[in-house]
Amino acid sequence: MAQGIVNRVVPRSAFALGVVRSIVHGTFLISILFTSFSALGSLPVTILRPTGAMKFLPWSFYDGLQTPAAMVTFKVVLVLSLLLSTAGFLTVLSTKTSFLLVLFYQGLLRSFGHFNHDEMLAVYCLAVLAFTPCGDAFSVDSRLTKTRAERPAFAYAYPILLMQLLMAWTYFSSALIKLRVAGLKYLSPDNLPALAIFHSLDNLHDTHFKLAFWLPPVKAYLPFAVGFVLLWELLFPLAIFQRRWRWWILSFGIVFHLATLFFMNIFFPHQLAMYLIFVDWDRREYGLSVRSKNSLTAFKKA
Amino acid sequence: MIISKATNWLARHEPGERRLIVKYAVLTLAIFLPLVWSFLFVRNLYPFASWNVMVAGGDLERGRSYCMLRGETISGETVDIPAINLTNALYSRTWTMVNATIDNQSFKLKSIHPQNEELIRQFGGVENLPPGVRLTDLLQAWGDLYNKQLPAASSQRLKAIRLDMYRWESGRYSDYDKFIESWRKEL
Repeated sequence: MAQGIVNRVVPRSAFALGVVRSIVHGTFLISILFTSFSALGSLPVTILRPTGAMKFLPWSFYDGLQTPAAMVTFKVVLVLSLLLSTAGFLTVLSTKTSFLLVLFYQGLLRSFGHFNHDEMLAVYCLAVLAFTPCGDAFSVDSRLTKTRAERPAFAYAYPILLMQLLMAWTYFSSALIKLRVAGLKYLSPDNLPALAIFHSLDNLHDTHFKLAFWLPPVKAYLPFAVGFVLLWELLFPLAIFQRRWRWWILSFGIVFHLATLFFMNIFFPHQLAMYLIFVDWDRREYGLSVRSKNSLTAFKKA
Repeated sequence: MIISKATNWLARHEPGERRLIVKYAVLTLAIFLPLVWSFLFVRNLYPFASWNVMVAGGDLERGRSYCMLRGETISGETVDIPAINLTNALYSRTWTMVNATIDNQSFKLKSIHPQNEELIRQFGGVENLPPGVRLTDLLQAWGDLYNKQLPAASSQRLKAIRLDMYRWESGRYSDYDKFIESWRKEL
């Protein structure tokens, strides 16, 4: 039965896992390239509140790191590692160093602010990729190595399934927690407008959209919208197992995250980028190779 | 289609495949067990997350405070400063960092930074600290970052930076900006 499920739902080639590696590592590479680490290093260390595992590090370590020069050095190391892992060079090592460095960096950010959930799924995907053969194809390593270790398709399919399960968990558990903690109060007409307006009042959020102020006049209809979102979160696991439902569920996810941006000034770009894990890269590769073969034949005929 | 014995648990496995299955089982448990724990206790313990995003919901009756970051330029203007343009690493987190700093949360840890311990001694206890006692350090850092982005002769450079706190008393969808207090730092 397990074989049947995995067979039907997940891409199974080294190529597909290699593409996913590039997407996950590349997402962090791009976001870090555009981040000013020297500005981050200018913030006073005395407002830092190490969270979770970050508490194991001594204050003297943070004192040394939390300077513009040290943070720029950290960025260089981080970018170098992510470049290697995105390209798939020294993949066995670089995926592990990228995972550990990003894990630390994200912990540092959460020690300044709150436990933002946007990047967490991508961090778990880094963890999965660090311990799976994601450099066997679509990588510099695979170009340089003539012979590839023979592995069962399961070696490539299961990590993709695991990452998809992690994404489903983020939404499914989110819905359950809302129902557990807030109960039916979560569906009250004032829930969404009050929350959205609160997130639209200051200038400390990253965007300053004011659409939230349109919500109070239509608040009677909003419990249906909130209920629909809860239902979508609960049904998200179907995106893994039902190919027919997948694109509806993912498309609604894109609309949902854009709505939170425009109405609440809250956006989850890393989480959205991880939707690409659901693309059947085997089929894309097959389509591309057929197309290039056809064009080559046409070219030869011409 | 995957044709693999590894996905058929009833089949006999080669030692290499068996190792792979064990490895993937350990990986799955290492990630999911702490996540399930976080879920059950609704607790975020980095790096393990409980997806309790927006759980509290919006309660109209509950008042809420919020802040505006503003600068006073050399030319005498008051300008709004989007903090994301100064420290973009803190994407999605700036407002909670400011709230935590106002609440002196870095003084309420089990292990406190030595400079903060010293400040507690000076004030004679955490309870005697004024709200946002480290806010001026943060404002100084932001003010310096803002001025660095401008030419030295620019009249748009800041001579002071401040954080204004307002309160939406709530209960109704109006009166969003009752002024509470302000923290100011000369640069």
